[in-house]
Amino acid sequence: MNALPELDLRSALEARGISRRQFVKFCSTMVATLALPPRYLGAVVKALDQRTRPVLVWLEFQDCAGNSESMLRSGHPTVGDFVLELFSWEYHELLMAGAGKRAEETLERVLSEHKGEYIAVIEGAIPTADGGVHCTIGGKTALDIAQRVCSNAAVNIAVGACAWDGGIVSAGPNPTEAVGLEKAVPGIKNLVNLGGCPHNPANTAAVLVHYLTFHEMPALDQYNRPLFAYGNIIHDQCERRAHYDAGRYVEEWGDEGSRKGWCLYKMGCKGPEATYNCPTVRWNEGTSWPVKSGHGCIACASPRFWDTKSPFYDRLPKVPGFGVDVKASEIGWVATGAVGVAMVAQVVGNIVRDNIRPKHEPAAENKPSDAGGGPQA
Amino acid sequence: MKRTTRKAGSNASWKVPAPGQIRVYVWEWPVRFSHWVMVITIISLSITGYYMHAPYVAAGGRTAYVMGTMRFVHIVSGFAFMLAILIRMYWFFFANRWSRWNQYIPTTKKRMANLVAVGKYYGFMAWSPVRYIGHNPMAGAAYAVVYAMAIVEIITGLALYSQILGSKTLSFFVGWIPHFIDIQWLREIHFLIMFGFWMFFIHHIYTAILVSVEEENGLMDSIFSGYKFVPKQELLRDPAVEEQQPDVETVQAVSVEEEESHTAV
Repeated sequence: MNALPELDLRSALEARGISRRQFVKFCSTMVATLALPPRYLGAVVKALDQRTRPVLVWLEFQDCAGNSESMLRSGHPTVGDFVLELFSWEYHELLMAGAGKRAEETLERVLSEHKGEYIAVIEGAIPTADGGVHCTIGGKTALDIAQRVCSNAAVNIAVGACAWDGGIVSAGPNPTEAVGLEKAVPGIKNLVNLGGCPHNPANTAAVLVHYLTFHEMPALDQYNRPLFAYGNIIHDQCERRAHYDAGRYVEEWGDEGSRKGWCLYKMGCKGPEATYNCPTVRWNEGTSWPVKSGHGCIACASPRFWDTKSPFYDRLPKVPGFGVDVKASEIGWVATGAVGVAMVAQVVGNIVRDNIRPKHEPAAENKPSDAGGGPQA
Repeated sequence: MKRTTRKAGSNASWKVPAPGQIRVYVWEWPVRFSHWVMVITIISLSITGYYMHAPYVAAGGRTAYVMGTMRFVHIVSGFAFMLAILIRMYWFFFANRWSRWNQYIPTTKKRMANLVAVGKYYGFMAWSPVRYIGHNPMAGAAYAVVYAMAIVEIITGLALYSQILGSKTLSFFVGWIPHFIDIQWLREIHFLIMFGFWMFFIHHIYTAILVSVEEENGLMDSIFSGYKFVPKQELLRDPAVEEQQPDVETVQAVSVEEEESHTAV
C-alpha cells in the first residue's frame, strides 16, 4: 500500500485550507489547555512546524465509536482537523478507506516499519472472557491485537472510559469480563489514560501536542491521567458553585431554581466527587457542558463511573441488600427509630420488673448497708 | 425502686458520701473532657452533615451562605472530634483501671461471663444489674464499637476532605483509599455511620438514666464531676480488678492508701 506523501504540517494544513493564523490560534488553545504559561506558545509552534508527521494508529475494540465521533465533530476549524493533520493516520477503522485484508496489511506494515515509533490510540474495552473471543477483528482477538500493538508503540493513549477502565462494557454484570487497556496489557509503557464518556478531544490533542513539543508525557496522576485535565474537582470550577455555597438548589426538574440556574446538587449532580476540566474546556467549540445546560454531572471521567456513581439522580449509592427504591437515609431513620422503640420497650419492661420483683430478690446487689438513708442536709 | 434522699444545696451535701459509701474519683479529666467534646461535636457534625447530604434549610436573601457555613462548621467540628478521639485513645493506656483499654475489649473469660450476665439483665432474664464502679462489660464493648465507628468516620471524613483540599500531605495518608473503595462508597459509609451514632446516643442516654436510678451511685453526676458514690465493699472487691486476675479467687483490690485517697473529700 502506498504511504502518504511526506508532508510537513504547514503544507498539510495549507492544503486543507487552514491559515497560519488559525494554526497559531490552535497552538495557543493547546498551551492554555495544558495550563502552561503563555511563553511556551513559541516552543509549541516551532515544534509542530518542524516535525515530520509521526505515524498514528487508532484501534477500536468494544466501543460505540463515540470517542472518534467526538474528535471528528468538534467544530471548525476543529481540534480534529489539526490532530488529523499533525499525524499520519495509518489505521483507524472509522476513517480509513481500506477494508478487510488491505486494511490489516497496513497495520502490519506500521508494526514492522515503525516499531517503537508510532503512537497508538485505543478506544473501547477489551474482553477477556473465553479467551477474548467476544471482540475479534480479522480473526484476532482484541486482547491479542492490543498486546501486540501497544507493547511496540512509543506512546499509548487510552481514550474514553471504556479504554481506560472498561467503561459501560465492564459495568456490572460485565458478561464479557471486559477490562481497560492498563489491565489488558500488564506492564504497558508510556500509557496515558483519558477517561470520559466521551473523551474531550481538546485534552487528547493537548496530550499529543505536549508529546510532540517536549517529547514526554504531561504530569500524570495516580490513574495515569494528565493532571492538567483531571487534577481539579468539577465542583470547584462550576459556574453554579455560588448557588451551592449559598444554599440555593434545584428541587425538581423545571422548577424556579431550575430556570434560574441554581445548583443541581439535590438532583444528584456528581460534580463534587468528579475531577475533569469539563467546565473550563467545555464542548462544541467551548459552547457548553452538561451542568451549564441544566443536567447534573454523572462523573463520566471518574473510575468505573457506571457502577460507582449511579444512581445518577441521587446523592448516594443504593445500599446493597435493600430494594432499588430504598435510600440510605430511609434505612438510617428506620434503624434509629427502631432503637428508640426498643428503648421505650425497655423502660416499660423495667417498670414491670420492678413491680413484680419478689421480696427476696434485691433491686441491686451490694447495696450500701443503709441504702436509701442518706444524710439529711 | 427507691428514691435517694441525698439533696443538692448550698452546703453541697452531694459531696458527702452516705454512711457506708465512699466517694471514688472514677473519671479523670481527659475522660470527661473528651466525652463532652465528642457530645458537642457529634451533635454539630450531625446537624451540619445531614444538611450537606440533603440541604433542608431554604436559603434566603442575596448574601446567603448556608452551605458554606455548614461545611465550615462540619470541618472544624470534625477536627475537634478527631482531637477528642485521639486524646481518649492515648488515655486508654494511661488511665486509671476504670478507663483503660481492657475495660472496652473483653480480654478475660471472667469479663466475658459478666458480659453475658449484663446481657441477661437487659434481656429481662435477671432481676438485678451487675454492679460496676466503671463500665460494665457490655457498656464497655458498646463503647468499643462506638470508637470503631468514630475511627471509620475520621478516616472516611479525611479521605473525603483530602479530595477537596488537594493537600499532598493529607493525600499521602488517605489519598490511596478511593483506589480501593470508591469515593461515593466512602461517602455512603460516612453517612450511614452517623445513624449508628444516633442509635448509640438514644441507647446511651437511656442506660445512663437506668443505671443511675438502679444503682444509686451518682452515675449521672460522675460525668461532670468525675466522682461516684459506691459502697465500700464494692471498691474492695472491684470487678475491674478481679476480672483481670482470673486465677486469684478473692483479691484485696484496694490498698489502704488508695482507699483513703478515695474517701477524702
